[in-house]
Amino acid sequence: MIFGMWDAPYFHIGSIPVDHIIVTEWAIIAVIGLIAFFATRNMQVVPTGLQNAFEMVVVWTYDFFTQLMDKEHVAKKWAPLLTTFFLFILLCNYSGLIPGAARVEGFQPPTSNWNVTMTLALITFFSVHVAGFAENGMHYLGHFISPNPLMLPLNLLEEVTHPLSLTVRLFGNIFGEEMVIAYMLFMVPFLIPMALMGLSVLLGAIQAIVFTILSASYIAAATGEGH
Amino acid sequence: MRAVELLINATALLPQKLFAQEIGGSTSVLRNKRFYLTVLLLTTILVLGFTAVCMASGHGNPLTEAPAGNTPEFGNIYAIGWTAVNFFVLLALLYKFAFNPINAMLEQRSTTIEGSLRHAEEMKVEVEQMRKEAQTNLTESRKEAQEIVARATKAAETAKAEISAKAQEEAQHIKDKAHAEIKSATEQAKMELKDTAASLAMFAAEKVLGRAINEDDHKRMVKDFVNEAGDLLC
Repeated sequence: MIFGMWDAPYFHIGSIPVDHIIVTEWAIIAVIGLIAFFATRNMQVVPTGLQNAFEMVVVWTYDFFTQLMDKEHVAKKWAPLLTTFFLFILLCNYSGLIPGAARVEGFQPPTSNWNVTMTLALITFFSVHVAGFAENGMHYLGHFISPNPLMLPLNLLEEVTHPLSLTVRLFGNIFGEEMVIAYMLFMVPFLIPMALMGLSVLLGAIQAIVFTILSASYIAAATGEGH
Repeated sequence: MRAVELLINATALLPQKLFAQEIGGSTSVLRNKRFYLTVLLLTTILVLGFTAVCMASGHGNPLTEAPAGNTPEFGNIYAIGWTAVNFFVLLALLYKFAFNPINAMLEQRSTTIEGSLRHAEEMKVEVEQMRKEAQTNLTESRKEAQEIVARATKAAETAKAEISAKAQEEAQHIKDKAHAEIKSATEQAKMELKDTAASLAMFAAEKVLGRAINEDDHKRMVKDFVNEAGDLLC
């Protein structure tokens, strides 16, 4: 069976079924968690090695979101969530590059599944509105009838389009890329897929960045002036 | 329901100190926690809502009833639920092992640097003070040394004058003493000479007169003579 197709539950916890992609997600969480744990296990004032690298990632994303958003305190509040998005999506995308991933039954990048990308997009969707209400209170509702009440349907449509576009973009890119690599491996097992895999390294990073930046810009727009 | 429990447990892992330094204090921590909790709860409600809709629409369990070989369905409730749980667990883990320690470390580093800078500034002031003190001490020492030298020179000169005066005095004393001794010796010699001359004259007169004359007369005569002669001799 080719990945991306329906997969039977891997096992059950009580009555809750656990899919293969969920297990992959757990593995990804374990990897990120372990790196974070070892990086910050013995923190030094003068950072070295893993601590330095991990600090750099966190501080860099922090600065990046602060520059992207107008309000620094909003950036500081939501930067952890956005950094988590980035790391999670990046590793999810790269999980498809593990040798043989496309050939093993049920072993597929979690982001090549509709449900996963939709969940992430929904988290963004709710974050945007929570951030909007937290920053502007009830005035936030005003942006739905901005610049005039006639725009209400379009504005509402826009709000629905945001998570939908996030979902489809991430899913489409990763699923498509994995499908192409899988078929390539099927047809020409050597050398040719390597170029595509190199491309998918780039694509994986780009998609993670795009998702995160779009989420950040939605939050920035919701918390910005004029609502 | 188990998924909801897990979600709530995951949020309980959210640590105390969050990334809201600007607002600062425990209020912002609670506010930040509340924001994330709200997002989590809304996502959970949506998942449960989807489940209810799926069940009500008669499709039954979309996961277990989908035949193998079908394309992935949109709305696999369990995958959505698990992903939401997993994402927030990861967020909590990163808070515990990355954001909080790094934030604390950044703050500590900032405090350390500020402290070091302040300490350096204090040291600079202290060094300047010490330099000034040293300069003052040096000037004072030089002045004192000059005074000591001047005093010593003066004392030496006084001593020199004293010694010189004393030496002169002593020399004068010795000279005077010598003069007196010479004078005394001269007088004594004169006396002795006079006595001897008198004795000789008396002896000569006895020899000439051939008789002994009164001792006292002789002596008087001779003495007169000797005195006259002595005055001539001396």
